[in-house]
Amino acid sequence: MGSEGAFSAQKRGSGGLPTANAAVNGGARSRAASLLPRGRQIHKTFNNIKITILCGFVTILVLRGTIGLGNLVSSEADAENQHLIEETNRILAEIRSDKDPTDPDDGPEQFLGLNDTFSLGPRISTWDQDRKVWLEKNPQFPSYVNGKPRFLLVTGSQPTPCDNAIGDHYLLKALKNKIDYCRLHGIEIVYNMAHLDKELAGYWAKLPLLRRLMLSHPEVEWIWWMDSDALFTDMVFEIPVSKYKDHNMVIHGYPDLLFEQKSWIALNTGSFLFRNCQWSLDLLDSWSPMGPKGPLREEAGKILTANLKGRPAFEADDQSALIYLLLSQEQWMSKVFVENSFYLHGFWEGLVDRYEEMIEKYHPGLGDERWPFVTHFVGCKPCGSYGDYPVERCLKSMERAFNFADNQVLNLYGFRHRGLVSPNIKRIRNETVAPLVNVDQFDIRHAAHHTTEPQS
Amino acid sequence: MIGRLLGPRRARQLQRFVRNGKLTILCLFLTVIMFRGYLGAGRFGTPEKDLDDIRETLSYIRRRAEPRRVLEEALMAAQGELKSAENAAAGSNNYTDFDISKIFRDEDDGVEEFRRDPSQPYSLGPKISNWDEQRAEWLERNPKFPNFSGRINKPRVLLVTGSSPKPCENPVGDHYLLKSIKNKIDYCRLHGIEIFYNMALLDAEMSGFWAKLPLIRKLLLSHPEVEFLWWMDSDAMFTDMAFELPWERYKDVNLVMHGWDEMIYDQRNWIGLNTGSFLLRNSQWSLDILDTWAPMGPKGKVREEAGKVLTRELKDRPVFEADDQSAMVYILASQKEKWADKVYLESAYYLHGYWGILVDRYEEMIESYHPGYGDHRWPLVTHFVGCKPCGKFGDYPVERCLKQMDRAFHFGDNQILQMYGFIHNSLGSRKVRRIRNETSNPLAVRDELGLLHPAFKAVKV
Repeated sequence: MGSEGAFSAQKRGSGGLPTANAAVNGGARSRAASLLPRGRQIHKTFNNIKITILCGFVTILVLRGTIGLGNLVSSEADAENQHLIEETNRILAEIRSDKDPTDPDDGPEQFLGLNDTFSLGPRISTWDQDRKVWLEKNPQFPSYVNGKPRFLLVTGSQPTPCDNAIGDHYLLKALKNKIDYCRLHGIEIVYNMAHLDKELAGYWAKLPLLRRLMLSHPEVEWIWWMDSDALFTDMVFEIPVSKYKDHNMVIHGYPDLLFEQKSWIALNTGSFLFRNCQWSLDLLDSWSPMGPKGPLREEAGKILTANLKGRPAFEADDQSALIYLLLSQEQWMSKVFVENSFYLHGFWEGLVDRYEEMIEKYHPGLGDERWPFVTHFVGCKPCGSYGDYPVERCLKSMERAFNFADNQVLNLYGFRHRGLVSPNIKRIRNETVAPLVNVDQFDIRHAAHHTTEPQS
Repeated sequence: MIGRLLGPRRARQLQRFVRNGKLTILCLFLTVIMFRGYLGAGRFGTPEKDLDDIRETLSYIRRRAEPRRVLEEALMAAQGELKSAENAAAGSNNYTDFDISKIFRDEDDGVEEFRRDPSQPYSLGPKISNWDEQRAEWLERNPKFPNFSGRINKPRVLLVTGSSPKPCENPVGDHYLLKSIKNKIDYCRLHGIEIFYNMALLDAEMSGFWAKLPLIRKLLLSHPEVEFLWWMDSDAMFTDMAFELPWERYKDVNLVMHGWDEMIYDQRNWIGLNTGSFLLRNSQWSLDILDTWAPMGPKGKVREEAGKVLTRELKDRPVFEADDQSAMVYILASQKEKWADKVYLESAYYLHGYWGILVDRYEEMIESYHPGYGDHRWPLVTHFVGCKPCGKFGDYPVERCLKQMDRAFHFGDNQILQMYGFIHNSLGSRKVRRIRNETSNPLAVRDELGLLHPAFKAVKV
């Protein structure tokens, strides 16, 4: 107020003398400024400094907001959460990469050349006799138990986590499904997670594995390979082994597709049986040459594409190789049973939508198109990143198939899923004080036991 | 000019006003930018998002070119091709970022549901008092389902474990559940034990760690041929494949848990025993103890109140809702005369082995000992208590838990692989190498541990 008064006094004073006074005014003004009391000057400076600090502070805050130093702002729980997620992702990435710091350096990969021969192991030619002798010497490990031949179900998956978490979840569910079926039918399971042979990787990995298991377990009569994406959907059905007493291999397929059309999907190697005998070892030896990674597999793939109907161009796979082998070498077919009276392998697309219809009209134990034995999710590949079908359809169908089968298991306990896409269950039978009545009626094993024909 | 229009004083006021106004607007503008940075401004986004957008439009996104395999069924080919063409248009084929909970849905399929009467106090089921007789009579009628088998009079055992039917919250959780069940499958195949993997919540009131109680009762009553039910947590792994449980020792007891008598009966210590791995005989006594055990379980007020009682009564127990382990300690300690004579607290081997004191010693064990001991020299079970790989938060650092679970898994897996002539490159490595060459006379070769055809798997001749 005071300074303003001084100013106004100055201005009033200089009003009457324009030109000369302008210079005087200007001079007067600057003189006036230096004539301002110190207090005012300090006050002004102080104000300026305050404003400067305020602006500086605001600038810093704005910079924080834009550059995003978020973890300084969010609450502790969020920060911890974020940190945990980051750590998990880092560890996950480390686990998923095949690198292990303690592994010896393998060096560059060596592939077998086109002129090299590959073998699964030293040739064995007396397996039938060797096995017979062993079984006689070891009666406590018989190949027939309770009149039924001993089965070994073999399946497996990669040792690393799947590309995404949902893949591992469905591997787990598929394994539970197999555990349930095998418990009900007295079958043992081997779940493989190791790459036994560097050259025969991928879908070929089952060959050295099956050979190794046959040779280590002479007490096993039938060895059954099943893909990890195949689910049992008929918990009551049992493989009619008496049909195969003169055969050594049982595989699902269609003879006309095989012999007439020479189609590359005439048979399916996602679910098949081998008898533990010399013939099977010989077949494995003849089957494996197209398998070794590298130029051998590539060249073999070309041959297969040229000879089989409908096959796209890619490296040799075990299924096409088997079809080609059975077509080109005649000595095998007499012992191979091409089964299609029940779904030893059932392609999922034509089956999963009909489950409700099946529940309404039919009952477990049929194994065929009325109540499929196995629903095989070919092409879904939930363990990878991309499948051949839409993800939602695949996962929904797998969930439905799993629950369809699980209902048959839970039936004994008096429970059922709340619909085929629900993980939740509901009680369909009250608890009683005489539970054994229900056990006699609903336990699948008692039903299976009564329908098995006695083995002579 | 404005000065001449409004008069000097007014002019000055206006000037001041304008200056203040400029300052105010500047500060307001800065504040708005600041808030946009923190809280976002709805569809105006945040500065970070701007940066991301810019990055995206400027960068080049490489399409993944993975070779795809299509195995189509010829018979369904006509329909299949049409359908898949439709579907490919309908949905994405990419598994990452797919939210599985879109699929799960409860539906009513018309089958009648039975519910428990909520007005009644909680019970696992109607009281059965003659289970031993019922069961004995059933076993007589069904000689094909004996409860004892083998040359060594071994009881029939059912191993029970389980996990949630929904995917784990943690992306690696399901992978470790898979490894864990494979590990159990291997042990049980060698020892002739059956497995039941549970993925169903039988009773919504008994959730969490209490879910095992209705399940155990249900399995005991539905499987009269089972003599012992072996409950095992999903985070416990077998690390001694050669150790066979000493069944003879348990011929007069009904409940076997890992623990110490003094810690339960004298100290009432809440970790004096572990209910992560225990054996329960299929008998009336077991049904009775399950009925005594259950009342502290029902979710909600009952469990909370019970938790307070347990914290008060047991030594060193922190404050949280009632858990099955503390409840068991409390029952045994307070009703010793009723139950203790049929309970065996095993500490001679690791029926449950706390992982913290075991996992770092595996290499030392490999050097100095061999499988078959089951105790501190070569633990039967390594139990990853507190790791909770399926959930988001465990009690220990994630990296330590996962790395050690891998090591324990490989430690056990080595004993299986050696049967077939392989071994892991190291305890941390997934890769395997050969330790025995293929021969032309495979039956002459015996595996070092004798696990291919062990005595405890032999059938009665």
